[in-house]
Amino acid sequence: MTNSKKLIVEIENLHKAYGKEEVLKGISMSVSEGEVVVLVGPSGTGKSTLLRCINQLTIPDSGRVLVNGIELTDPRVDIDKARQHIGMVFQDFNLFNHLTALDNITLGLTKVLGMDKKKAHARAMKELKRVGLSNKYASYPGQLSGGQKQRVAIARSLAMDPIMMLFDEPTSALDPELIGEVLKVMKDLALGGMTMICVTHEIGFARDVCHRIIFMEHGRIVEQGSPEKMLTNPDLPRTKKFLGKISEIH
Amino acid sequence: MEVITILIPYILKGLNVTLKVTGIALSCGLFFGLILALLRVYGGDLLSRIIAQCLTVLRSLPHILLLLLIYFVIARVVDLSPFWAGSLSLAIISSAYQAEIIRGAILSVPSGQMLAARSIGMNRLQAILHVVLPQAFRHAIPPWSNEAAIIIKDSSLVYVLGVPEIMRQAQYYSARTYQPFTAYLTVALIYFLLTFITNRGLDAIERHIRIPI
Amino acid sequence: MSFLDYLQIAAPQLWRGLLITFKVSFTCLGIGLLIGLPSALARVYGPKWLRWIVTGYIELLRGTPVLVQLFLVYYGLPQFGITFSAFTSAYIAVGCNSGAYQAEYFRGAIQAIGSGQMMAARSIGLSYLKAIWHVIIPQAFRFALPCWSNEVVSMIKISSIVYLIAIPEMLYVAKELMAKYFNVFQTYITVGVIYLLVIGIITYLINKIEHYLAIPGLEVTKRSG
Repeated sequence: MTNSKKLIVEIENLHKAYGKEEVLKGISMSVSEGEVVVLVGPSGTGKSTLLRCINQLTIPDSGRVLVNGIELTDPRVDIDKARQHIGMVFQDFNLFNHLTALDNITLGLTKVLGMDKKKAHARAMKELKRVGLSNKYASYPGQLSGGQKQRVAIARSLAMDPIMMLFDEPTSALDPELIGEVLKVMKDLALGGMTMICVTHEIGFARDVCHRIIFMEHGRIVEQGSPEKMLTNPDLPRTKKFLGKISEIH
Repeated sequence: MEVITILIPYILKGLNVTLKVTGIALSCGLFFGLILALLRVYGGDLLSRIIAQCLTVLRSLPHILLLLLIYFVIARVVDLSPFWAGSLSLAIISSAYQAEIIRGAILSVPSGQMLAARSIGMNRLQAILHVVLPQAFRHAIPPWSNEAAIIIKDSSLVYVLGVPEIMRQAQYYSARTYQPFTAYLTVALIYFLLTFITNRGLDAIERHIRIPI
Repeated sequence: MSFLDYLQIAAPQLWRGLLITFKVSFTCLGIGLLIGLPSALARVYGPKWLRWIVTGYIELLRGTPVLVQLFLVYYGLPQFGITFSAFTSAYIAVGCNSGAYQAEYFRGAIQAIGSGQMMAARSIGLSYLKAIWHVIIPQAFRFALPCWSNEVVSMIKISSIVYLIAIPEMLYVAKELMAKYFNVFQTYITVGVIYLLVIGIITYLINKIEHYLAIPGLEVTKRSG
């Protein structure tokens, strides 16, 4: 992967164990600006853990994580400030249930970035429009469908002007007919040049917009490469077997 | 009946005190209960267990014993009036129960909410203040309504310290008129009205601030 | 005198007081059960007029302090010429009070079981009463157990109130000792420790019983009573 673009994410030899079970066994990788990376692999192989180690929602046992040149694994770094620039979208949406869609977005703007209310309001409406939900600004999460909730969640992260977005199985909890609307938003983001790391089974999405597919198994990176290579002619038979299986389903 | 014109005003003289005792107990209980709950949930393992033990002790003792203990032992040292000894004892007792109520409410907020709040860059305090507590608050109202009713009724216990609340007034009245049943029945009705209004009122508030689904 | 000397004198008396505490608590608990379970059943399955009466009883007794109820029976009833002994008054007042709370616990348990159980029981031909006895009550007991165990602890705490009508339970004995030996602090602390031990042991035993009676797969989450 030759590129003269700057590295947004650098991960060096990450280890993480839960009790006796080692979930990440020495992960090293990097992502350049504007690159869209898709992480695939069987469930429980540490993909979500890896994502959470990037924004330090999970603290790794050893190894380094650098985002935009700043070492997040250094305890002296202000992690809350760093997180303002990293967007995360969860499988369970995790929208703030006691706030409307609009307020879900303005909360970060006013309380974390200190924006004044009017500006925050305008910015939030802009993001809602971007994900196609401006008419739902006054709805509470409980009144929204799964796909709508996820789109609001994406808008919430985008409003913070992140330099990259982490997607943790964003469509896994959605009914099939709602997956499309979320994938469309994600595709538009990718085409717009956002740096993205996505854990997902949506091979169509990977084929269409991502630059690199990483196959993880048992806490290690097994193989990585361009979508064309990984999906049609990967080096390892294990990779072919797994990607073949999920291609069939999706 | 002269019962109504004489009895009721006489007993109502003590209502003022009953309400004050209840008010102090509930509000101080809320304040300390909130702090204890936050310490238990976010304060780390050791602190959480120490506090849990102390609260278990407080909840295992008869309320009247605690009242007497605090009055006869502590109040003599610090020179508290029976009113304050009673009110503060109830406050201490209530904070132990309210800590559990608030803690339960905080724990019922899904952990993903804290994750989401941290992921947009909020620090722990902001996340607790703006995301967790507002949701926990709504879950806490029904059990808190229960606790409020309990404290209203427990305020009758300060009678043993000689505090001139409605029980004491009833006792004086029955001593003078030999109509104890009427006196205590009136007191019972007053307590019933107080708990009834409190519960219905809090129910209404809970419905009003309910998050639409 | 030293604390240990004092304990030697006080212990037998406190022990007698503790036995009275148990006597009052468990009798009232039993009376409460006899009143509470039928009340709950009446509230869920009974005709409208019965539901009304039972609900009224429950609301009134839960909405007033047990102290007032005690005084109404012991000091109040003599106004009409009805006099009960201290023990009887305690049993009536505290027992009825407990009954009201237990009725609510059982009602919650019965409703948690769900109407499907009653439907299934009737559909295989069981009469109303038989269905209640063989299907509803066994499940209701298990659902109600966590709340009921709270009630046991509650009873032991509440029973201390009856010292005011001169029933010689632990707190009454403590007051007598204090009047004689003037060591208020030590006595109260001792009584407190005894209560803690007793309630600790009882809680432990109840947990064991809950464990023993648990039906696999029918999980009951402990709600704060």
